[in-house]
Amino acid sequence: MTGSPDRSGRAALRLVPATAETACPSQWFCGHCGAPPPTNETPAPPARVCGECGLGLLLEARADAVPSPNEAFLIVDGSLSVCALSATSEKLLAVSETDVVNRPVMELLSPADAEANAPESLAAAIMWAARGEDEPRKVTVRPANVFGVRMPLRVGACGPPRAALLVFDDAR
Amino acid sequence: MRYLKTSEAAALLNVSPNTLRAWERRFGFPRPQRSPGRHRLYTHGEITALRDALLDGLSISSAVSRAREGLGADTNALVGALNAFDGMRADSALEGALALRSLDRAVQEVLLTALDEVARRHGTDSVQWAFAARWGNGWLRRAQRLVTPPMQPLRIVLGDASRDDLDPDAAYIRSLELLATRAGATVLGLSVRGVANMAEVLATHRPDAVVIAGSAQSDDAVARWAYAVRLATGPLPVATYRRGAQRQRVRTTGAAILPSVPGEAARHLMELAAHRVVDTQDRTPTPRMAADGA
Repeated sequence: MTGSPDRSGRAALRLVPATAETACPSQWFCGHCGAPPPTNETPAPPARVCGECGLGLLLEARADAVPSPNEAFLIVDGSLSVCALSATSEKLLAVSETDVVNRPVMELLSPADAEANAPESLAAAIMWAARGEDEPRKVTVRPANVFGVRMPLRVGACGPPRAALLVFDDAR
Repeated sequence: MRYLKTSEAAALLNVSPNTLRAWERRFGFPRPQRSPGRHRLYTHGEITALRDALLDGLSISSAVSRAREGLGADTNALVGALNAFDGMRADSALEGALALRSLDRAVQEVLLTALDEVARRHGTDSVQWAFAARWGNGWLRRAQRLVTPPMQPLRIVLGDASRDDLDPDAAYIRSLELLATRAGATVLGLSVRGVANMAEVLATHRPDAVVIAGSAQSDDAVARWAYAVRLATGPLPVATYRRGAQRQRVRTTGAAILPSVPGEAARHLMELAAHRVVDTQDRTPTPRMAADGA
């Protein structure tokens, strides 16, 4: 609390910026092809299979974190294990989803942000997102077995159940 | 064991039949069996396991992985029971597996897998293996006694070249006998160590195919037995099962080599015997009428 003394010598209250989060709409998308469902309504639990590709489950995320259809992204849970890989990511990283599911994400991606404390920033961003911190964060990564490549990544929350959504920015 | 058609399984999972077939191609799960008309038949246990995993999964891949782990828990339970020398618990574990799978799958995916795991962990000269092998072979023999009488006129003679119940091949050979019997054939199992009076036995049994299974007996002993069978029955289709990789390089007189998986081996054996029956029928001369109509 800050203030300047008024004529009586008491400090006055000053209005501070609002701390409430601005409401951000959420959107559903397919965890394999990224396509949105026909309606943005919450699907029933037994009806979460994507009607477009049939190979992914419908997940929800903030509208500013949701990948566009056919964008490269992956889903990672709180134990840093890969849970889903989009079709475009399979081509980008030259792996098959069935080969990497339940494997540690660090076997696929390594931090490439030299300025930050690299080993923690990617893992920390994923764990914050998996715990429900849905403010998107930006990190830079490279494929685990490739050097000299930097790929910007935005990390946000998705679910259910709660997990981290990693979207490759400007990657096709 | 409850089976579901493709449409029923798809309805239970709330997907289209095409999606279900696409999952089978991409993930190899669920794995349907085939009806005699080659239609897919899904086990109810696999479909419900997958449905439950999809309810709180993040992807189809992770749900498939969880469903597989759940079904694989039966093998772990059986291995645990065998390691604890608890036959009743082992029986319960296999009964639990039968609730989710057909008998053929339970034998191949749970019983034989568990025996292999015990052999791998403790060795085939261990007490654990001695108990597990005895239990496994006993269970397979009991299961064979419960098989309904055969419907097909196929008869198979199986020459058992295994050492004894502790032979790692013995359970596979019992499984082949069981699955071939369930497929409708009459299987006569004889040790290759007995060759006397072969003609008497085979005069009654009249086999359509012969299979020599196991690798413990020498090639000479097996050859003597096979020769006795041939003398008694004439030329017959011959197949070998788990005769050992080195013996597969030995030239045989056209003997088929059956796959190691008992289910596939039984299917190949049935085809071999069925071809022989068809060939025999084709070669049977059709009677000709004499000029006077006799």
